[in-house]
Amino acid sequence: MTRILIRHETILAILFVIALFLMAAQSDRFLTTANLLNQARLMTEVGLIAIPMTFVIVTGGIDLSVGSIMGLCAILVGVFWQNAGLPLPAAVGLSLVAGTAAGLANGIIITRFRVPPLIATLATLALYRGLAEGISQARSVRGYPEWFAQLGQGQILGIPTQLWLFALVAIAGIFILRFTTFGRTTYAIGNNEAAAEFSGLPVERTKLLIYTASGFISALAAIVFVSRVSTTRSDMGNGIELEVITAVVLGGTSIFGGRGMVIGTLIGLCLMQILQNGLSLAGVRGDGTTVVIGAILIVAVLISNILGRFSND
Amino acid sequence: MKKLITALLGASLLSTPVSAQSAWTGGDDQPTSPLACEGESPAPEPGEYNGGTPTDAPDRNGQEITVVDIPKLVGVGYFASTASGMQQAVEELGNITINTDGPTRANIDEQITFVDNYITSGVDGILFAANDPVAIAPVLKRALDAGINVVGYDADAEADARQWFVNQALPNGVAKSMMDQLASEIGEEGSFAIVTSTFTTPNQARWISEMQAYTEKCYPNLTFLETVEAQEDNILSFNQAQTLINKYGDELNGILGMTSVATPAASEAVQQNGLCGKVSVVGLALPNAMKPYINGDCIKSTILWNTVDLGYAAAQVMRQVADGTLEPGATTVNAGRLGELQVVNQSQVLLGAPKVFTKEDINDFDF
Amino acid sequence: MKARSFHGVSSIGQEILLVVVILALFAVVGWINPRFVSENNLTSIFVGNAYIAVAAIGMSLVIISGNIDVSIGALIGVLAVISGLLVTNGYPVWFAWLAPLLIGAAINTLVGCLIAYARVPSIIATLAMLSILSGGLITFTGGQWISGLPGAYQLAQFRLLGVPSPIWFMVGMTIIAALLMRYTAFGRSVYAVGSNPEAARASGIGHASTVVKVFAIHGAIAGVAAVLFATQLQVIQSTTPVGLELVIITASVVGGVSILGGVGTVVGSTLAAILFAAIGSSLIFLNVSAYWLRAVQGVLILATVLADMARRRRTG
Repeated sequence: MTRILIRHETILAILFVIALFLMAAQSDRFLTTANLLNQARLMTEVGLIAIPMTFVIVTGGIDLSVGSIMGLCAILVGVFWQNAGLPLPAAVGLSLVAGTAAGLANGIIITRFRVPPLIATLATLALYRGLAEGISQARSVRGYPEWFAQLGQGQILGIPTQLWLFALVAIAGIFILRFTTFGRTTYAIGNNEAAAEFSGLPVERTKLLIYTASGFISALAAIVFVSRVSTTRSDMGNGIELEVITAVVLGGTSIFGGRGMVIGTLIGLCLMQILQNGLSLAGVRGDGTTVVIGAILIVAVLISNILGRFSND
Repeated sequence: MKKLITALLGASLLSTPVSAQSAWTGGDDQPTSPLACEGESPAPEPGEYNGGTPTDAPDRNGQEITVVDIPKLVGVGYFASTASGMQQAVEELGNITINTDGPTRANIDEQITFVDNYITSGVDGILFAANDPVAIAPVLKRALDAGINVVGYDADAEADARQWFVNQALPNGVAKSMMDQLASEIGEEGSFAIVTSTFTTPNQARWISEMQAYTEKCYPNLTFLETVEAQEDNILSFNQAQTLINKYGDELNGILGMTSVATPAASEAVQQNGLCGKVSVVGLALPNAMKPYINGDCIKSTILWNTVDLGYAAAQVMRQVADGTLEPGATTVNAGRLGELQVVNQSQVLLGAPKVFTKEDINDFDF
Repeated sequence: MKARSFHGVSSIGQEILLVVVILALFAVVGWINPRFVSENNLTSIFVGNAYIAVAAIGMSLVIISGNIDVSIGALIGVLAVISGLLVTNGYPVWFAWLAPLLIGAAINTLVGCLIAYARVPSIIATLAMLSILSGGLITFTGGQWISGLPGAYQLAQFRLLGVPSPIWFMVGMTIIAALLMRYTAFGRSVYAVGSNPEAARASGIGHASTVVKVFAIHGAIAGVAAVLFATQLQVIQSTTPVGLELVIITASVVGGVSILGGVGTVVGSTLAAILFAAIGSSLIFLNVSAYWLRAVQGVLILATVLADMARRRRTG
């Protein structure tokens, strides 16, 4: 029982509930279905990418190139559709393929050439963003058909369309990390990569798949984003990697690997979003909110560290 | 051998040395409408109103209203001065409060989130300067649907996503001022390079395209060398200008600064290289940032609309839209101390022609 | 001590590789366009980017100790603004130069304590600092630029023996840091903590106090970088330079500092910073279309890293 109580995820959930009450007390426009659903819509892109990022960080790695993959794939949708004259569904499909390939390239550089993930993705961060700028020549592609906007702006059964997609990815993430051998291998790599290799686990293949998935989901997030804002620009997703990583580590995934849960990431994500929204409704300006989120990040980790030390003794 | 290597490097990566037809780097692909080379061009007819209308807006006539100002980004001198202009209007009008809040980076996604949060918080009006005209449109339409008055300034959204747009200067007017000033300083046969923020910034891209069109029409013998990107970053702008000076040597006669960050930094580069009077800097910049160079006789001029007035006019227009006194079909707008402003392009309020500040009058301005 | 000689060998290899690449770059680009190697252009490559090289020295210490700092760009922005505000509010120039060093050291001592004693992972602590510093800066300045700086304040524009001061700072601080890391007990403890924290603790090297010291030094060095940054032009921007932290981290890691800690030298990071500055300048000289500039930079970073990996596998 005490074990569950002192989990980082539990503490975070409590923080989340407290924040929810505080925000609701500040503004009566905060705790409404319309506002909450709308906030969920706004956080979908970061949320989508945060799911594979949880896997990446659990293996002890990191993927800084997600924002650039997002920018590249957004540009490619426009280029394939308008410049190459393909039908839009094919353009979307090809863009997803390109994102997957970008993730695969990350994986190959990291596993085959043994480049540390931070450096490898730092390099591809520059490379993929550069490709987006070069290919697009900084031109925007606009004028997407009505049906395409449904994904980012419409709703199904009263719930924003992209939330269904996000739920699907999140559930898949929870299931895979928790209940499959793939998930167990992921944890094993993060705990001790050498030992995992010794005991015959498919370390390389697992990491390769995880980075590839990260690329694929980043492309998916790009499609959702393009549909939401109905234009493509090469600077899309710029800096999103820091938001994603903040959500994941706030959610209790250890940056050293071996520990973390998708459910924690989800709570971390929601906490960030309601803080941004709630503080804004309470009249705090954007720069003040940024400061608060930074402070919460430290406090959350501090609390779980202190409690963690008690449980060890 | 040298040529071979250059050619090898070349394939698709190199910008081929400029032929007359090739587009200037950093321009957009929208149609251009260059002004006449000499004299005044007749003012275009405003045409039929094409802005949006808020749904079921409450009667705000004479009421106390709360407005939020969401610029492209906070933390730059440009939008700090528009915000100060808005506060002047607030003091003068007495029945309007304006808070400025926005993203710390010029980021389309963050700006959308800001607009969204303020719709929920229930403001009466939104003033915005868009990072992307299309991306911001859906959320602004939501604001109109919620009965909120929406007025843009500095950087527009799609017309039906806002009511009015306060236009600081028409793009072809900016282009004419810049190129006329450049030609007057370096002669009609000089060479110049451009320092811009990023190629994706819509205003800058628009101006570059208009400048190209106007130059081809009026100064065919000016030579465009290249455009470099310098973000909204002081030091990078300085380094890029420095590199251009080093690369072209005597060949470079002028640098065009497209942003209020790039122009002072380029001037600094010229001054530190002791090239005052040899390399001209013409560009958009706040007078305060340019005073050291203009008062020191290193740079002759800076071009800009009065950014304080821009913010002031935006606040005035917002008040009149909320009061219902500025209606579709109007041809002029009474903007307080600025007098009558003209309506152009169906639903835009024009601040005026861009102003060229020189040593004679720059010290009269403080923004 | 066997371990140390191994580090020495591997990072010296990286330094030689970087020197060769830099010389080759200057030779090839200078051959295509001689103006690239003119005194003017060499000076601007070094001067304009010296603050990055200086900041990368501190970053290298942090990474060698097994940590990382993503808040460095925001810290430099904050310290530059503090320095500018001090001098425009009538404080003596020497104080405006010195204050950023002390405040930078103080802020980062706090961060170091969070990391060393409260066991907050460095990426989280500094990610949080990034938010706090960059948000706080805007709240504080309201976005106004700082201008009207006195001429005596422009440290980065001074020359000594005809050489601009940023170059002196870059070279001098690199040499001091390199000697410190190689020949002092402190330097050895940084390597020990980074390569194997458990062993360092067991052998009695003060793990926590070493990390705090590293961060304090890093903060003071960031103060120097901030002064160089602030005094280069006649205005100080009150936003933090976007993406500066990535540039500095990249310089450190490409310079041969292993992200896993325990390996690397500060000389490599300075060379890497020079290389990146030279690449940026050379692309303009080579007429590479500006649209493709960042892609080319990415390829070059990747190539450097892959070459290093291949070399390490051969020797190791």
